[in-house]
Amino acid sequence: MNASAWNMLLEGAWTTVWISAVSIAIGVVAGLVIALIRLARIPIIDQLLVLYVSVARATPLVTLALFIFLSAPDLGLDLNRSVAGILALTLNTTAFNAEIWRSAFRNFSREQSEAAMATGMTPWVTFRRIMLPQMVITSLPGLVNEMSFLIKGSPAIAVIGIVDLTRVTNRISAVTYEPLPPILVAGALYMAIIGCLVWLQRLAERRANRLAM
Amino acid sequence: MSEANTSETAAVSIRHLSKSFDDVEVLRDVELEVKTGEVVTIIGSSGSGKSTLLRCINWLEKPDRGSIHIAGQRIGVHDDGRPMPVRELAKVRAQTGMVFQGFNLWPHLNVLHNVTEAPIHVQGKSKREAEELATALLEKVGMSQKHDSYPNTLSGGQKQRVAIARALAMQPAVMLFDEPTSALDPELVGEVLAVIKDLSAEGYTMVMVTHEMAFARAVSDQVVFLEKGLIIERADPETFFTTPKTDRVRKFLENHDTPSSA
Ligand SMILES: Nc1ncnc2c1ncn2[C@@H]1O[C@H](COP(=O)(O)OP(=O)(O)OP(=O)(O)O)[C@@H](O)[C@H]1O
Ligand SMILES: [Mg+2]
Repeated sequence: MNASAWNMLLEGAWTTVWISAVSIAIGVVAGLVIALIRLARIPIIDQLLVLYVSVARATPLVTLALFIFLSAPDLGLDLNRSVAGILALTLNTTAFNAEIWRSAFRNFSREQSEAAMATGMTPWVTFRRIMLPQMVITSLPGLVNEMSFLIKGSPAIAVIGIVDLTRVTNRISAVTYEPLPPILVAGALYMAIIGCLVWLQRLAERRANRLAM
Repeated sequence: MSEANTSETAAVSIRHLSKSFDDVEVLRDVELEVKTGEVVTIIGSSGSGKSTLLRCINWLEKPDRGSIHIAGQRIGVHDDGRPMPVRELAKVRAQTGMVFQGFNLWPHLNVLHNVTEAPIHVQGKSKREAEELATALLEKVGMSQKHDSYPNTLSGGQKQRVAIARALAMQPAVMLFDEPTSALDPELVGEVLAVIKDLSAEGYTMVMVTHEMAFARAVSDQVVFLEKGLIIERADPETFFTTPKTDRVRKFLENHDTPSSA
């Protein structure tokens, strides 16, 4: 592999990292917001969210990315590839994250929130100061799991022409006729990215011990 | 008119309080007045409604009928029946401090921060001010050495003493204790009761549910006996424990090791 092949690989890796990072960041927060809204059980909105979650969880990423990219012009939207890719990944991961947050809400100790309200905290302060910090710790294993699924599933966005870390190996081997080296390097880079996530998870686990009363 | 007057001076004033769960009436027309500085003990058998009564006082449980005033302020609903907005409810609730049977400390915060959390985030106290107050309170409950410890490293008795400091930190008009020693190993009961006894000596207003009869007799100004949601007897501790009026209370006291004298 020559210098330009290495360059292309790193660019592909960067594409995968930033598109995934943006999708993860939006997806984690949006999932929390959906879980919060679903707590309120607002008629119609609740049903719509249930529908969204089940559809998004059942749809393959490739299908979702293609659908968004191809239908956008019909809806009068001018989406570039990256935005369409982020949208597809986000819609997918948000649905899974919403369920993770929801179970964290369900499992949260009612006694602890009562203790918070009893001191005069409003429900919002109780959520922000007492529930959320603990929910982050308990949800992190599930969320990190979902993050690594997203990264491993992200090559699907190549279908709309994004040159990510997997797609770029194709391009390189089309020139060098040596498919193995770029694939091996790409594999190592995926492992490095996911390794960072696992490290984050370990950090959370150490804190989680405290919560086990 | 006199009614309005008493609710202004009393720390807690409960009138015509009723509460049902599904079809079961758990509290029936309960009337209770707790004067400032007074210690009221609620006694009764399991399921008689003691916890529900205590939890109605700070609106963790919503009564069906009746009114509750804390330091003169109505809690939960306005006089015209309008439910109280959450912020306003939280303000009145802050006038009560609650200590639970199961401690319910917040495990993600260390001992010091369990105590400073509400003063900072409810009252808007500065961190330093809250920490000074917490330091004094933790000393009062004998937990000075444990500021940095997390709840999961404490014994039950230590947890409960921190929980008492946490409730005191809001400087409430009344402290509510729901069987504060029932979840403790017998050898740890004493250290928690000692703290509560100190509080009563200092003049704190308290409403307490307990099965510790000797303790109730020693610290109470008023003892109330609850039976199936009805207050069937109330008296000063001497009268209550020596000459109960009803057979029901006499039987109950026989089954609990009643102190012969305080
Ligand atoms: N949230 C609830 N939903 C339905 N029933 C309830 C609820 N809380 C309490 N009860 C019922 O109300 C009755 C009174 O309960 P409460 O907890 O007030 O009794 P208690 O006197 O505190 O008993 P214990 O000494 O066992 O703590 C019981 O029959 C209980 O089963
Ligand atoms: Mg009880």
